[in-house]
Amino acid sequence: MKLLLIAFLLTLAPVLSARAQDSRIQMSGLDHLAAKASQTVDVNLDERLMRLASRVFDDKDADEREVKKLIAGLKGIYVKSFEFDADGQYTEADIETIRTQLRAPGWTRLVNVTSKKEGMLEVYVLFNGDLVHGMAVLHSDDRELTVVNIAGPVDLDKLAKLEGQLGVPDLGIEKKKTKNDDEK
Amino acid sequence: MKAIATSILLIAALSTANVVQAKGDDFNSVVKMIEQYYRVKHDGIPFLAKAGMKVATTAARIKGGEVRQLAEAGSIKLAVFEDQSFAGDVVRFRSSLNEALNDTWMPLVQTISATDNEQVYIFIKDAGDKFNVLVITIDQRDATVVQVTLSPRNLALLLKDPEGTGKAITQEATINDQE
Repeated sequence: MKLLLIAFLLTLAPVLSARAQDSRIQMSGLDHLAAKASQTVDVNLDERLMRLASRVFDDKDADEREVKKLIAGLKGIYVKSFEFDADGQYTEADIETIRTQLRAPGWTRLVNVTSKKEGMLEVYVLFNGDLVHGMAVLHSDDRELTVVNIAGPVDLDKLAKLEGQLGVPDLGIEKKKTKNDDEK
Repeated sequence: MKAIATSILLIAALSTANVVQAKGDDFNSVVKMIEQYYRVKHDGIPFLAKAGMKVATTAARIKGGEVRQLAEAGSIKLAVFEDQSFAGDVVRFRSSLNEALNDTWMPLVQTISATDNEQVYIFIKDAGDKFNVLVITIDQRDATVVQVTLSPRNLALLLKDPEGTGKAITQEATINDQE
């Protein structure tokens, strides 16, 4: 009986592991843009670094306490950002390599703002039941393309606090979300 | 036959020893990789009993104007490349570097500018109750490779502001070297 249980758990392990990785977006399809970009930024805070961050952030510091709470349970924060000196250095097909993944079951687009001045911002969340288990932000304008992926349970209300921290760029999510809500 | 078998075993043992040594000293491996890839020579790797004494009195100015010593005393390894050409495929260099380090180091932030030939890489490694940090900075004519040990408190600073603190670590190491 014990052997049967172990065999069952072993069969289940890859499924559970795959489930945990669902919220991780593959961004390597954008790597070729680095050769054309005036600046490429890659931030890789994987699960090991998340655990380190939880260990070293100090509860006595209000900011660090807040970030520590926010990243508790997260599987990773990944950012890939490209800045270009000229227009037209990336194509719609490049953005599609990301969007295709975000059409998978469970992902929902929460924010979709396009303006001539500020470009395009799309925010996607991955629901597992009522809980948010991942998030992706896609931001682009004529000379910039940024993808942010947060893997694991995310508190959307506190998300803005991560901007400018841990290498996450300031995307103006809160500002644009409010603007979008107002427009509705 | 026995002699051949012994020789094979000896060669195998020596090869394993070399691999272990290369893995154990990633700082030197990175310096060599830069030298081979860009065909340059570093100006020196001052091992830092000397700098270790100085580091205690050196402070780096980091984000927010706070003055703080980042590296643990005696922990700095530094290689400097001055006034040499670092022209080359930065994307391919990044791939090689990641391939070499990703087994033992965690990549935190990598910033590259293909158009300006500028690259900054920050890797972290758990070292018990402290942390090793490797900062590699390459621009058109100069490069530095810095490895330091950070306390948990200073690692928190690095995680919060990787770019600013990474720069401060390099600055602190090179200031020490020039003193």
